[in-house]
Amino acid sequence: MKIVTVGTGMAAAEFVETLRQGGFTGEIVMFSDEPYAPYSPCVIPFFLAGEPLRHVFWKGEDFYTRHGVTARLSEKVVEVDPARRLVRTERGVTESYDRLFYAAGASSWFPQTDWLDTYGVHGFKTLGDMEAIDDQIRQEGVARAVVFGGGFIGTDAALALRHRGLQVTLVHRNNRLLSQMTDLDGGNFATRKLAEKSGLDIRLQTRVADILREDGRLKGVELTDGTRIETSLLVVATGVTPNSAPLTGGNGGIAVAEDLLIDPLICVAGDVAVTRHAVDGRQGLHATAPNALQQARVAARRLLGEEVSFNGSINTNVLRKHLDFPVISAGRFEGEAVTFERGDLFRRVYLLEDRINGYMLVGDIRLSGYLYDLYLSQKTVGKDIRGMLADTRGDWYYRSVMGLAPAGATIS
Amino acid sequence: MKKIFVDYRKCVACKSCETACAVAHHPGGSLYGLVGDRKTQVNVRVLGVEHEAFPVSCRHCDPAACLAACPAGALRRDGHTGAVVLNPEYCKACAMCAMVCPFDAISFKVVHRSPFGRETAFKCDLCHEDLKEGKVPACVTACHSGALIFCEAEPLRARRAVEHLKVYLLGEGGEPPLFAHYRELRRKAFARRRESDS
Repeated sequence: MKIVTVGTGMAAAEFVETLRQGGFTGEIVMFSDEPYAPYSPCVIPFFLAGEPLRHVFWKGEDFYTRHGVTARLSEKVVEVDPARRLVRTERGVTESYDRLFYAAGASSWFPQTDWLDTYGVHGFKTLGDMEAIDDQIRQEGVARAVVFGGGFIGTDAALALRHRGLQVTLVHRNNRLLSQMTDLDGGNFATRKLAEKSGLDIRLQTRVADILREDGRLKGVELTDGTRIETSLLVVATGVTPNSAPLTGGNGGIAVAEDLLIDPLICVAGDVAVTRHAVDGRQGLHATAPNALQQARVAARRLLGEEVSFNGSINTNVLRKHLDFPVISAGRFEGEAVTFERGDLFRRVYLLEDRINGYMLVGDIRLSGYLYDLYLSQKTVGKDIRGMLADTRGDWYYRSVMGLAPAGATIS
Repeated sequence: MKKIFVDYRKCVACKSCETACAVAHHPGGSLYGLVGDRKTQVNVRVLGVEHEAFPVSCRHCDPAACLAACPAGALRRDGHTGAVVLNPEYCKACAMCAMVCPFDAISFKVVHRSPFGRETAFKCDLCHEDLKEGKVPACVTACHSGALIFCEAEPLRARRAVEHLKVYLLGEGGEPPLFAHYRELRRKAFARRRESDS
């Protein structure tokens, strides 16, 4: 059996490794529009922040040879022909398959694509983006950068550049950073603390209206509030779109059920897959590494003949980059809110029928795994939750086992 | 695979396990090296809750949520010992692992093994290198009261089940009288302390 993967990202690499570890000895061909060994998108900002490039290759630089894979790199797959079992690339190369693993990921979305023609304007999604930014900083000694977009990727970018020593202005159209993974209070808290701790210059409810260029090079940006900022480096992180076009013709992602199949021979996983949420059941793009990895493992084990299925994705995420100040969230911010706030710590849980419907933890990682477990299992929490959120010693669980009241101040 | 099991009723909160762990994971390998050293790594923590003490650490779950979540290739399972082992070279301290660990067994700080002078995750490694030489984890060796034991799960479970059944049916065995006495004294001491505090 010949297996072809579209993509060499986290899902595809995990898929291939699981197959080989499970004893699959058949032919494997991997396609990527990039020229690299599989790398981790979560790690690449650290390369930009000054750490060695080799660390981004999370499964080793020798991945293809070690696993006996034919790598077709810098070959962008533009068409999948399920009838003839073929994939075709932009350059006209075709490859046949017996089984196709489609994990083409997502691409940066730019408000104005012509900005990219200007030297100094970058996306923040691929290792190529990181190398281009790194090159520019090295060659020009860039001291000041503007990041447009304050979601997860934009904030990640701003913190990485800040860690590298640049002065960074982070421009975000919403009223708080990380607006998808926080509610208003939690987001405001996180934004304020991140600004204090990182020294980022954060401009909210503002957008980059236009860029200023000279001889094809970036000279500055103009914001919607009229401010002009001189800079030769602009990172645009205003969103991503799934690379579903070769399979569906559109860019809305590809919906799959528990078998992850869209036809008996084509499996879809990773950031391009639209999957069911494991807790609330809603279909959506749940583009995080743990979801992609789990989908890949399930797909591989199914191919190896095991009877497993994908139990659904979870929209949990954590931003903890270069600062000991994590922002964690999961679920939906609807229901009865229970909040604990003290100093650098903000914790909020949303309850629905006495079960956790969503939560946010800002400033401290402790408790997050326990809440995650309660959220996933949908156990009832009762009034325990108040003592739990107020626990700053890490002994809440043990006190409750002993039948003792929580140590700290409880919240009403 | 052998694991570390905790009988918290036997823990006297002496913290020998913490000290032994710190020494075992210190490049100096001696108690004196720990003095004033901020990079000291302690992978087990004795959590004092009133009169009880709970030595808490990584349970090397299988399957392990942290292992499934790591996006950096920094966590792996040691084939020989079953330990979930962290490679600080590859760890970016992104906290994806800690986010899903139900036992808060993963922490972050600059330890001696952290490259680049910044924080990495650190956790119990089951002293897996020493296990290959036939040793047992440093914390278990150090435990004087029998609160920490290193053994296979199933025989331990079976033995405990028989012991509990004996206590339940025959009233035999159970806590040795001296032990029960010691625990009762400690409980009372803490109750007095609580009263004088309030």
